[in-house]
Amino acid sequence: MSAPAKLEVLVAPADSLDSGIRESLEDEVVRLFDQLRERLLRYIVAIGLTIPDGEEVIQETFLSLFKHLQSGRSRDNLQGWLFRVAHNLALKRCQRARRSSELLASAAAGTYAAIDPSPSPEDQFANSQAQQRLLAVIQALPEQDRRCLFLRAEGLRYREIAAVLDISLGAVSLSLSRSLTRMARAAQG
Amino acid sequence: MLSQDSHVADELLLMELEGELSPRVAKSVRTHIEACWRCRARRQELERSIADFIHLHQRELDGQLPPAAGPRAMLKARLAQLPVSAPERPWQWFVGWGRLVRVAAVSVSVLLAIGWIVNRAGAWKRSASPERLVSTPDSTLTPGATVLASRRDVCSQANIKNRDVPASTQLLVFEEYGIERAPRRAYEVDYLVTPALGGSDDIRNLWPQPYSSVWNARVKDALEDRLREMVCSGTLDLAQAQHEIASNWIEAYKRYFHTDHPLAEHR
Repeated sequence: MSAPAKLEVLVAPADSLDSGIRESLEDEVVRLFDQLRERLLRYIVAIGLTIPDGEEVIQETFLSLFKHLQSGRSRDNLQGWLFRVAHNLALKRCQRARRSSELLASAAAGTYAAIDPSPSPEDQFANSQAQQRLLAVIQALPEQDRRCLFLRAEGLRYREIAAVLDISLGAVSLSLSRSLTRMARAAQG
Repeated sequence: MLSQDSHVADELLLMELEGELSPRVAKSVRTHIEACWRCRARRQELERSIADFIHLHQRELDGQLPPAAGPRAMLKARLAQLPVSAPERPWQWFVGWGRLVRVAAVSVSVLLAIGWIVNRAGAWKRSASPERLVSTPDSTLTPGATVLASRRDVCSQANIKNRDVPASTQLLVFEEYGIERAPRRAYEVDYLVTPALGGSDDIRNLWPQPYSSVWNARVKDALEDRLREMVCSGTLDLAQAQHEIASNWIEAYKRYFHTDHPLAEHR
């Protein structure tokens, strides 16, 4: 009977230490979720995921963050890390959906404008012509340009965007200026 | 830095607007904008586009996002279900695992050490020829970019002299490479794939090439002439020529001129 007692004594301190660390890591992950969930979700929905798929990607992203922090890896720029992981998971999910022919309406259209496929007549009326033109310009942008634009809209700096999309800093500034120039042209009619 | 005759490119105007330029370049751009109505108006147009876009973006998405409470509770529950695993401490698995694992670990360490030595030897060798390191562009910043041009388009060009790179684009290239102030005089912003071989004006095809290096712009010009001759005589595919020059022009020179050093007539 003495062996189990000894085992208990040996295990208890290690467990309590781990549970303390674990609890604070869980708190940290939930805190970051509170801060960034909306921005991350808006981005991945904008690049083509449905909201339920987007929510699932966000869950996976923060579970990965927990494992990342638990294994003691780098804490540098966790915001950039989260956007990169969410972006990659979202792309994988889009590709899977395409492969299995379950094309998501928004992914197929490649734009966030497809979220609300049937706006009410009042909404349609409210949308000014200029906004319709702008929407058309955004829909017609190359995929990478749209991603740059949506990441910038979520407050990422150029270096962070370059890291998320794995492109050069110059490519980010060119992409953004190209998109905004097209929008400016559309605004002038 | 910017003359009043030339206007600031949209990228540069936007980067100034976004606070993405170094203080010195930003000041130079601002000084130009103060004196130039055209650039100031252009800057305002870009700013208006940002405002229009963000209004549309919010209108399209904000109302659609569900509240966070449900997903938050779900995340907490899923976090609680994850198995406990301590942070990776190298000595822990080394002590705790069986003898076989220890033997494997020692073998891996030896291999890593050998790998490190081989790698360092390569690095020492490379550092012995620093001109090589600065004479080829950073492939992540300057992978090379081409326009859609056929062999006939390329070979029918009467003037194969490179167009001057606008001052504002040069600033962007220097900015991207983190080259500040004085040393800039030691560089020429050059095309990686020359326009004479279908290279584009895109910033991805431009890099600051040092004047002083052994592998300098004149040597590269000789390679470009050789490749163009071969493309136009039909002995080399245009895409192959572009690829060779974009991936490592120095290696290409050595291969096509059968030498390890730039020939005297090309220096």
